[in-house]
Amino acid sequence: MQSPFNGIRSVTLAAAVILAAGTAAYAHHGWSWTQDGFFELRGKITAIYIGNPHATLDVDADGEAWRVDLAPPSRTIAAGFTEEVAKVGDEVTAIGHRSRDETEKWMKAARVIVNGKAYDVYPDRVPPA
Amino acid sequence: MDEFLAGIEQLAIVRGLKASFVAYPIVNALHIMSIGALLTSVWLMDLRILGAFRSLPYVPFVTLLRRTAFTAFAGALVTGSLLFSVRAREYAAMPIFLTKMTLILLAVANFLTFMRHAKGGDEPPGGTVTILAVLSLVLWTSVLFAGRFIGFLN
Repeated sequence: MQSPFNGIRSVTLAAAVILAAGTAAYAHHGWSWTQDGFFELRGKITAIYIGNPHATLDVDADGEAWRVDLAPPSRTIAAGFTEEVAKVGDEVTAIGHRSRDETEKWMKAARVIVNGKAYDVYPDRVPPA
Repeated sequence: MDEFLAGIEQLAIVRGLKASFVAYPIVNALHIMSIGALLTSVWLMDLRILGAFRSLPYVPFVTLLRRTAFTAFAGALVTGSLLFSVRAREYAAMPIFLTKMTLILLAVANFLTFMRHAKGGDEPPGGTVTILAVLSLVLWTSVLFAGRFIGFLN
């Protein structure tokens, strides 16, 4: 076929590949965007969201505003972490993996500890005891 | 604006969706289905306008696909609004989300311009309409990509 859309198709495909490659490091789905080693964050909770698509905590750690991703709500609630067990102002320790991009104050937690109790939202990913 | 968005998050149906184990993935799946149908109909329609599938009669082919695209867009609008509503303030502050909304507005404006230029005739008139069809392909495909990246940037 000698229609102009062959060219268009190539351009679109090329744009897609460039976009995908350029932004792969930012992916916040899954764990591919986080470092391999464990990371621990301590701070004060500034916001709690238990809901779809996944639960999050906003944490103030020594004046730095962090975002902590947890599991989807079903999994987070199954781990016992609900809106009843933590409130804004509580001290929190989050253990998991931080973003590979360290300028980003963002991590994904496997375990959060609030008021002396540990909640394993990703039990298969908590550090070995 | 912030109050309005916070109000959306507090609606009963939205709170239900936010906490649901089943409804949210279903709405999510229906959004993907709508987008799939929309992109397919847009691509086939625009490629026909650009000269592909010449063996298929132009008017009924494009009319059918335009109707499909309309229905799919309506579905995407409803399901997308629901997905947005659970964290309205969060999404509204994301540059990638605002980029997607801008692209949708441009794509819709492009479609309205197309409708003004493409009146009657058994074959596409070429000229401006060809450019608009190319723009349509680029814009709707960009909407798809921008939308997918919302899930990876927040």
